[in-house]
Amino acid sequence: MEKGKISSLQMAIMIYPTIVATAILGVPAITAKYAKNDLWLSPVLASFIGFVTVYIVHQLHKLFPNQTVIQFSEQIMGKVGGKMLGFLFLFFYIPNIGQLIRSYGEFIVDSFLIKTPISLVMGSMVLLCAFVVNGGIEVLGRVAELFFPILIIGLIILITLLSPDFEFKNIFPMFEGGIMPSIKGAIVPSAWFTEFFLLIFLLPFLADQEKGMKYGMMSVFAVMMTLVVVNLSVYFVLGETTSSKVYPVMNAVRYISLADFFDNLESVTMALWILGAFVKISVFYYVAALGTAQWLNLSDYRPVIWPLGILFVEFSFWSFPSAMETSRYDIIAFPIYGFLMQTVIPLFLLVIAVVRKRLGKKSKLS
Amino acid sequence: MIRNVSKLLSKTKNIGTQTKQNNQQDLKPQDFLYHDFDQNVETFRSIYVNCFDVMFRSFLLYGKTRALVIYIVGLSNTNGIEDFVLYPFMKETANEEQSFHKLLENQMPVSMVKRINTFTECIQSIATGYPILLCEGENDAFSLGLCKWEKRGIEEPAAEGGIRGSREGFNESLGINTSLIRRIIKSPALKMQPMRIGEYTETAVVLAYIEGLADKGLIEEISNRLKRIKIDGILESEYIEEMIEDNSYSPFPQILSTERPDIACANLLEGRAVILVDGTPFSLVAPISFFSLIQSHEDYYQRPLMGTLIRWLRYFFLGISLLLPSLYIAILTFHQEMVPAALLLSMAASREAVPFPAIVEALIMEISFEALREAGVRLPKQIGSAVSIVGALVIGQAAVQAGLVSAPMVIVVAITGIASFMIPRYAAGMAIRMLRFPIMLFAGTLGLLGIMMSIIAIAIHLCSMRSFGEPYLSPLAPLKFRELKDVLWKSPLWMMDTRPHFTGESNTHRQSPGLAPSPKQGGDQSE
Repeated sequence: MEKGKISSLQMAIMIYPTIVATAILGVPAITAKYAKNDLWLSPVLASFIGFVTVYIVHQLHKLFPNQTVIQFSEQIMGKVGGKMLGFLFLFFYIPNIGQLIRSYGEFIVDSFLIKTPISLVMGSMVLLCAFVVNGGIEVLGRVAELFFPILIIGLIILITLLSPDFEFKNIFPMFEGGIMPSIKGAIVPSAWFTEFFLLIFLLPFLADQEKGMKYGMMSVFAVMMTLVVVNLSVYFVLGETTSSKVYPVMNAVRYISLADFFDNLESVTMALWILGAFVKISVFYYVAALGTAQWLNLSDYRPVIWPLGILFVEFSFWSFPSAMETSRYDIIAFPIYGFLMQTVIPLFLLVIAVVRKRLGKKSKLS
Repeated sequence: MIRNVSKLLSKTKNIGTQTKQNNQQDLKPQDFLYHDFDQNVETFRSIYVNCFDVMFRSFLLYGKTRALVIYIVGLSNTNGIEDFVLYPFMKETANEEQSFHKLLENQMPVSMVKRINTFTECIQSIATGYPILLCEGENDAFSLGLCKWEKRGIEEPAAEGGIRGSREGFNESLGINTSLIRRIIKSPALKMQPMRIGEYTETAVVLAYIEGLADKGLIEEISNRLKRIKIDGILESEYIEEMIEDNSYSPFPQILSTERPDIACANLLEGRAVILVDGTPFSLVAPISFFSLIQSHEDYYQRPLMGTLIRWLRYFFLGISLLLPSLYIAILTFHQEMVPAALLLSMAASREAVPFPAIVEALIMEISFEALREAGVRLPKQIGSAVSIVGALVIGQAAVQAGLVSAPMVIVVAITGIASFMIPRYAAGMAIRMLRFPIMLFAGTLGLLGIMMSIIAIAIHLCSMRSFGEPYLSPLAPLKFRELKDVLWKSPLWMMDTRPHFTGESNTHRQSPGLAPSPKQGGDQSE
């Protein structure tokens, strides 16, 4: 089905923008709403979920080294149960991608291309993602590798340019209301950290599987650090108003002014962010295509790419009526839904698999 | 022609067998020379009927044995034939009975003599300028190393100049080209596989590589792809390139062409293969990555810091060449807020009289610039100045004064033009030139988003491409830390101790480690 191999570094580089790209857009505002000036701690707490998810994924991967969750859930739950679970995963991911594309389109149309039809913005992105998915995991890995440094360097430059506007006293007093606000603020970001479950679809294609866990954990750490830095910089600049913004990073970037020449860098930020969004949607797209093909027992995932692409665009229209609704879903439903699908069910699978293995061993011994 | 020849041969062969030949010859491949001298002569005459440039010179060896020299006028050394073949054999009379072979050894002062025994070989030999000598009572013909044809001398490469480094360039003669390489790489590990491609042109093609450095699988793959070519003629190495490259519809070249022996040798030393084609100064190098196309030989003949700096300048202008007009369009049309107010005002003032939107203005300018450039390439030299005057006046001044084009647009086009000249490989520059136009259209319709979409599309394309199994963007994607030393910056030579690694196994170390100059090393022997 997939003959390509990627390195574990490529895997980490693919998964990093997959989490960060959307997390830095709206999440600082949501976190600030609950955690106030302690919002820098929330990603650290939330990353705990990420580490746990990666651990679960890795344990599952060790039990079934060359299979994705769609394949091995059949071995754990039996033919029918496995197919049902596989369907559940696909039914989670496919609308989720629709929602991703929608929030991408809303962001672009709301902030920059006000008169452009959103379907064009979303359609062009899906088309590009379909191309890269068609190229296979190797191409996806290389594209991510190519864009990753641009994203990181861009982020560092933006934060550096923003630094003259930092008001460090914004984050004081610390822990005014104890640790609870930070924990509350961590709930929404934790949903993003559960997305590390996607690794289960990438691990079977690693050329150096023994390093998978290490790089997965490093990726979680990198995401956490990025969110902490972004949250802090945004709060340093915007202060208490952070929570009232839709895309606080964009609001913060407007403060940049260097040598009276580099003003209004929102468009540049948007351009950089598109690269991240592209990697994010592509990784999800790849996972969905691969999972669908495996669920249908196809020999290749390429035939399902185009139908899925159309489905994604459709889902992006079906899922939410407006950007407000999207953000409501992100706050209310997704933390639970994502946590359930990407952490609890895998844990449940792992437990069954381990128990079964123990029992199997015992029965063999006897 | 060969097809006809073999038909002819099979016809004459039939006659031959009818006129009673020994049975053994029937078992041999068809086109062996006959025992009978007359029959051989007859066959050659029928093969070369209506070829006025083929000369048949018959004479008597020592007044006794009949002999014949066949050569092509202008390809063979006529003086040599006279002095070294005809003169010694016609002048002297044989004192004693000598075998023909002995005679050749002792009487003919020609250093390269090859014994051949088929018509095909004879025809090849004649066609490449080696006269053949036929003799009564001999089964074999002799190919004499007396070729001499007009060729261009070794000149400075026209398309790849430089300040420092060898001034020698390849030329149209394969023999000279191989010798230029051999003069640099003297080790016998440098192998050169000959082959002939083209049914009618029978162009000599040489696949050169260094045994032990180049991956065996790679050489096999290239040689298989070369052997697969069945074509009537090869006129330029581009014919070969298009036949063996991985992706024909990509704007980016997947094979490097160079007319500099030092570049060919540098690539051979990195484990790549070089394909030399007779009749063109451009040799092919495979496999390559995208970065080979934007590196110049002079990067290596300069101090490392300068090399790095110039390399980055080149990367920067590569981006300019691809994106500047599109960025200009996008910013003017969609993202005016990005431009500082003062600059925006002056741009708006100069655009006030222009009746076109930025995208149309840019397209007009870019297309006319490309037209000027294309016109300049193939123009007779005497008219060249006319084009530049017309270009400078019409495009530069008149268009602005007439209010058709704004002055900033002219500046943008000019900078883009200069930027595209900075790419050392012409073919890579062409790819960028071509891609500029679709990006401009996207920038005119979707602004920065369109530009980003185009960049992503190009990135996907580049990432999915391979050149003979080598990922096109390696060592950047997939990342190979050790090879970045020659891509993102140019390390001092003593740090470049490992070769780039392609597919398969290869010899990794190019020099001993620890060559860094320091007071402890060399010179000071007092310790």
